[in-house]
Amino acid sequence: MKHLSEEELIEQYYSKGEGAAATRQHLKACAECAEAYAALGSDLAEMEFAEPPARDASYGERVWESLSRSLPAYEARKRSWLSGGLGMGLSYAAACALLVMGAFFAGRLWEQRQAQTTAAVHPQQTQQPVAQPQERVVVVVLSDHLDRSERLLVELKHTDADSAEMVSPLRDEARGLLAANRICRQNAEKIDDPALTTALDRLDHVLGELANQPGGLNSATIARLQEEMNANGLLFEVRVLRSRIPDQQAGGKDRSTGGTI
Amino acid sequence: MDKNDHAAVRAVLAGDKEAYGALVARHSHRLFRLAFRITGNETDAEDVVQEAFLRGYQKLESFESRADFGTWIYRIAVRCALDRIGGRRMDESSRVAEETDPELDEVQVADLAVGPDRLLLSGEIRAMQEMAMHNLTPTERTAFMLRHMEDCSTEEIAAALEIQANAAKQAVFRAVHKLRRRLAPLMVRI
Repeated sequence: MKHLSEEELIEQYYSKGEGAAATRQHLKACAECAEAYAALGSDLAEMEFAEPPARDASYGERVWESLSRSLPAYEARKRSWLSGGLGMGLSYAAACALLVMGAFFAGRLWEQRQAQTTAAVHPQQTQQPVAQPQERVVVVVLSDHLDRSERLLVELKHTDADSAEMVSPLRDEARGLLAANRICRQNAEKIDDPALTTALDRLDHVLGELANQPGGLNSATIARLQEEMNANGLLFEVRVLRSRIPDQQAGGKDRSTGGTI
Repeated sequence: MDKNDHAAVRAVLAGDKEAYGALVARHSHRLFRLAFRITGNETDAEDVVQEAFLRGYQKLESFESRADFGTWIYRIAVRCALDRIGGRRMDESSRVAEETDPELDEVQVADLAVGPDRLLLSGEIRAMQEMAMHNLTPTERTAFMLRHMEDCSTEEIAAALEIQANAAKQAVFRAVHKLRRRLAPLMVRI
């Protein structure tokens, strides 16, 4: 007969005698195992361990008092449909849409800034028509135009009306300046600068007379133009405008650009 | 699950912190007894109770409403108690010494050859049993305590210790075997 192991006896003991039927039958039939089982029961029953010290009825309250100060209250659970999967999905979709829109506007902003940077580095190129890249572009810089116009007026003022050698270069220079002056005048109108517009109007008249006088420049025409120029102070006005341009550039209002054709 | 416990848990999660006080008051005595039996120390037991309820509060959202709060917090307390005695390293590091020295974590072993009149003193017997208990591993001691004193089933012990049921059963077997072997001379004399 195979006797019960200590483990089987222990299991039987803690099952309060309601263990496996085979074990119970064996204990009834086997005196040796029954004796071992009784010894085990005696040993375990003899084990008396210190009982925990008693706690009074308010012990639980004291524990809670010591804990409650350090415990934050839970936030009330919100179980609406928005907190469920649909809400999560909508939030995700909204986040994606915002991301796409943000990328789009960031791209637009980047393009604008790139254009401004290009204009700052190459200000004479800002008026280039983007839609007609094959068109010949003539860049007219106002400051240069005024410089050349000032030199022409000075020459006109001091020219000898009877000298054909002096007259011919004036006419050629005036023809060269006439188109540029019209561009600058149009640009002056766009930027709403009445003083510049008026001065360029007067300059246009003088340049037109010099460039397109029927039958060529003669002494009478030059003399008349010299009188008009002295009378209306066109040369002085051009010098003032010329001296004004650096100050305006320093102030950020770039008027050195006359325009493009 | 106790309906009162269930309602209290829901109230706490809804923002009523004070409802947790009712749970603490209801289960603190049982947790103290458990903690004392595992740690063998009144101060440690009180600390374990507080820590268990603190952990329980922090993890309350993970508590399943179908479970029993008492069983759940009981398991947390077992883990807290094991952590505490694990920190003290009372079992494996205890050494035999001529004199008991708590600071050195040494215990004095009673001389089994002394006369029966001395051994029959209940205080001495209890001290021997306590010492035998302290020579068990934390898992063995806790498993035995839950089985022998708290009358827990194998499944409950396994859940409290977070081990397999068979491992819990073996832990109880080993604990009983070690205790009997260590206390056998005493038992014979008695």
